Amino acid sequence: MVSQRLVIKNESGLHARPAGILAQAAMKCNSDVWIMLGEKKVQVKSILNLMAAGIKCGTEIELQCEGETEAEDLKTLAELIESGLGE
Amino acid sequence: MTEIKVEKTASRGTAIAPAYIYREADLTPDTYPVEESKIQQEEAQFQEVKQAVMAELEQLSQENPIFAAHLAIADDYTLQEGVIGRIKSGKKNVQQAIAETVEEVAEIFGQMEDEYMRERKADVLDIGKRFLIKCKKITVQDLASISEPVIVAARDLFPSDTVKMNPQFVKGIITEEGGVTSHVSIMAKNYGIPALTGVTGILEKLQDGSTICMDAAEGRIVIEPEEGVLEEYKKRLQEELKEQEEIKKYRSMAALTPEGKRIFLCINVGNTDEIKLALDKNIDGVGLFRTEFLYMENTHFPTEEEQFAVYKEAAMLCPQEVTIRTLDIGGDKSLPYYEFEPEENPFLGWRAIRISLDMPDLFRTQLRAILRASAFGHIRIMFPMMISVEELVQAKEMVEKCKEELRKEQISFDDKIEMGMMMETPASVLLAEEFAKEADFFSIGTNDLTQYILAVDRGNKKIASRYDSFHPAVLKAIETIICAGQKYGRKVGMCGELAGDVKAVPKLLELGLDEFSMSAGNVDYVRRTIIG
Repeated sequence: MVSQRLVIKNESGLHARPAGILAQAAMKCNSDVWIMLGEKKVQVKSILNLMAAGIKCGTEIELQCEGETEAEDLKTLAELIESGLGE
Repeated sequence: MTEIKVEKTASRGTAIAPAYIYREADLTPDTYPVEESKIQQEEAQFQEVKQAVMAELEQLSQENPIFAAHLAIADDYTLQEGVIGRIKSGKKNVQQAIAETVEEVAEIFGQMEDEYMRERKADVLDIGKRFLIKCKKITVQDLASISEPVIVAARDLFPSDTVKMNPQFVKGIITEEGGVTSHVSIMAKNYGIPALTGVTGILEKLQDGSTICMDAAEGRIVIEPEEGVLEEYKKRLQEELKEQEEIKKYRSMAALTPEGKRIFLCINVGNTDEIKLALDKNIDGVGLFRTEFLYMENTHFPTEEEQFAVYKEAAMLCPQEVTIRTLDIGGDKSLPYYEFEPEENPFLGWRAIRISLDMPDLFRTQLRAILRASAFGHIRIMFPMMISVEELVQAKEMVEKCKEELRKEQISFDDKIEMGMMMETPASVLLAEEFAKEADFFSIGTNDLTQYILAVDRGNKKIASRYDSFHPAVLKAIETIICAGQKYGRKVGMCGELAGDVKAVPKLLELGLDEFSMSAGNVDYVRRTIIG
């Protein structure tokens, strides 16, 4: 498993549109993807779970990937989050 | 032949046409059991339905970006796991599994702290509906597809329904619910469609295509009329068309009373199309622009730009004057994308100016849009549901703040824009003189005023006969308002149903009303009554 710490930059947090973009990108990954919010484990491949996690602007998350393609998946998703998820 | 008598009526007109029954879809999940061997079949059905829903949303998302989020939710992993898990347990069929999963997910959103996220509950439920409609193979009736003359019969009709109807083909409307001042009545009046509401049991008596004759003024409905009755209605319809022609002759005349007082005749509208339809009626302006439809017939709170475009168009269509009422939701009007907490007494609850003052960002967006549009015509701002002078002062201060912002941004607006208020609460009547010092104009909203003065719920069928705008207490209130307005030199108008009622016109003239604002369909009749 690989992981990376990131800070959410989106002004309104992970609301519907950015959450949708992130979930869709995660769906394309072969590895399992989670976001750790402290003790809470959030399934990234689900827009509903992402939205329900209520991740706000400025929140620090830990992105985790596990599987054969974990390294490149982590890189792709981390870059996407860093870039502001289309916003 | 069946004849039905309706006691309370608010519109006029005769209609003869086949019935078009509008049924709401029953989305309660079927309860059939699933045997072990059929589990796979249920799972397959879910996948099939999911593909169909996604194809539908894919198309919708091209017109409106909100559906892109819906599309992602429909395709969601958690949703799928929830449904499949419930089916695999062997205890639920696909419909039950969908309904339960959606309910569970919606509840999570409903309990979230963030308001924006709470509102997503409606999105989830909406997607659930799409799944169930497909599972149950329900064909959803589309009022927009009506292309032949019909009388629409329904349990109730909502703004989202009526907006789709083409007044060219909808000759009449009959609903089981709703009173004479409900949304459907107002819409029908605007378009001059005869409507009868609160007709309990009508749907049981009708079949699709049954011939209906209706007289909205008398409150008579005849189903499958005998030859003689049909002839009688046909004759009446002819006479009405003749009278409408006759009355048009008054159109070019100014509304002067026999004593020589010039009366302002205005219209009430909910969108700019209604202004276009009324432009040939020689009106003096729009006395009430209801902005709530802009919010209700939307998937999100309308942005400043979206609102500005509409208000600007209104101002340019009707350069005489356009009175824009700030958002009046709550009560019987809710929003599809914002969940209001259930209230015991919504008409006495969180509505209209109370919402605007409590949600300053929302209010500011609307005020900025109105101010910007004021550069393109003659706009007045009107605040609804006032109960204290402090509220009015607060609202006016908000306008000043927005003006200041616009000045800094070098955006033009009408600096002398008039700010007035609806007179519709008992408190505003009792404090009419105090308000007259602060407000630039008054507009009497008789629908709510009657309901509040008499403590009679205007939507309650059981007490509909007690809802009476001619009640001496209501007339006394109107008199008080007009006197206070005159004392401080404020123009007093009326934008409630009473203003369009020819029976009320002589009394209102006697009391000294300056402006009558009504559904476009009534203008010709009121003008004739004023000229006398």
